Amino acid sequence: MGVNDNLDKHLEDHEHSLCQDNVGIKHSFSTCDMCYQSSKRRHGKCRYCGTPIHIRKKDSLQNTVALLITSVVLYVPANIYPIMYTTSIGDELASTIVGGVITLWEQQFYPIAMIIFIASVMVPVAKIMALSWLVYSVKSNRIISRKNNQMMYRITDFIGRWSMVDVFAVTVLVALIQKGNLMMVMPGVALIAFAAMVVTTMLAAFSFESRLIWDNPDKNKGKNIDV
Amino acid sequence: MNHFDNSAQLACHECDQIVTIPELVDGQKAICPRCGYVFTRYFKKAQSRLLAFSSSGLVFLLLSFVFPFLVFTAQGSEKTVTMVQSLQSMGNGTFLSVVIFMLLTTVIVPAVILGGINYTLISAKFDRPLPYTRHILKLVFYLQPWNMSEIFLLGILVSMIKIASLGHIQFGWSFYSFVLYIGSMAATRLFLDKYQVWQWFRHHDKRGYGRER
Repeated sequence: MGVNDNLDKHLEDHEHSLCQDNVGIKHSFSTCDMCYQSSKRRHGKCRYCGTPIHIRKKDSLQNTVALLITSVVLYVPANIYPIMYTTSIGDELASTIVGGVITLWEQQFYPIAMIIFIASVMVPVAKIMALSWLVYSVKSNRIISRKNNQMMYRITDFIGRWSMVDVFAVTVLVALIQKGNLMMVMPGVALIAFAAMVVTTMLAAFSFESRLIWDNPDKNKGKNIDV
Repeated sequence: MNHFDNSAQLACHECDQIVTIPELVDGQKAICPRCGYVFTRYFKKAQSRLLAFSSSGLVFLLLSFVFPFLVFTAQGSEKTVTMVQSLQSMGNGTFLSVVIFMLLTTVIVPAVILGGINYTLISAKFDRPLPYTRHILKLVFYLQPWNMSEIFLLGILVSMIKIASLGHIQFGWSFYSFVLYIGSMAATRLFLDKYQVWQWFRHHDKRGYGRER
């Protein structure tokens, strides 16, 4: 009742204020990312929790690009070298990430093969591509839809951690089957490269400043962009 | 019980739009009208629920170290695996870095998060903020993206299926405790609302507790 009426009125008020001018950077108004303390400054420390304030993260695009390049470089050894060696009765079998997916598929573990394929092959590539597009889009003002860009960033940010599933699976496997009677599983170099790649893509996503997606330089005036 | 300061204006974390957060009722969330960023989700008694789930999560996590995690029977030999043992057996040579990373993201970070929530909430509950409350809260929120315990559980299940053809696997008490811990962690994450948690402590500060810079 009362609260809902309030909410409706509140939403109406928002429709009014929802324009490009009512953004923090134009009024030197910032809100602490950690504790939501608002203040009238562009940098310095939050007066409530002491976290550094940046109205826009410093060198965000450079950092993101640097970390993206690192992750692309790491992606190569992660896929070329074996992630795991299986020794059974003297036979040593090396399997790469993609090889492991194919083996699982051949053994008819279809759902697991899909999970590993999505988590360790598709997601990293999609993440790198999405972040590259976002950096390009912000840098060159080639914006198709800000809302889509924001959604892309949110998904990238959320999904990145799940690539670790293969790393954990191999590590658990190594712990389970070691120096056994007939079988033995050993980790491969790709394990480190892949884990490092996931961490660098996560860091790349963190260092990207999503507010840049919404900043509207004057160049763009007149172009048809949805807000 | 609503500690919102309605007059407070915020700049959206994701798109910089200036907004004010309205008063919310149970289950409602405040989202940014421009980009859809979720500022906060209001639940009744979130503080008590958060404390309940984070403390039970901590207990389940500790219990998962005590009992055998898995019993693996293959070719007539039986092997009992515990968490500590499995971490020890991998902790050598080149792959130490991966093992340390796994230990950090699946055990130490979640334990620090849950412990930190317990510490700060107990102090809020009894209206007596303990020392370093703000630093610990900050640490909890910084560590949050590095908590990968549920991914570890999926990893365990994947590796189980990979070796299912080699022998017989039996889950031990620790495994069930770990699953319950993952459940508690998920509930903790649901009720751990950055905006509201800080509001609780600001509420204390207004009444003269804590320390204002």
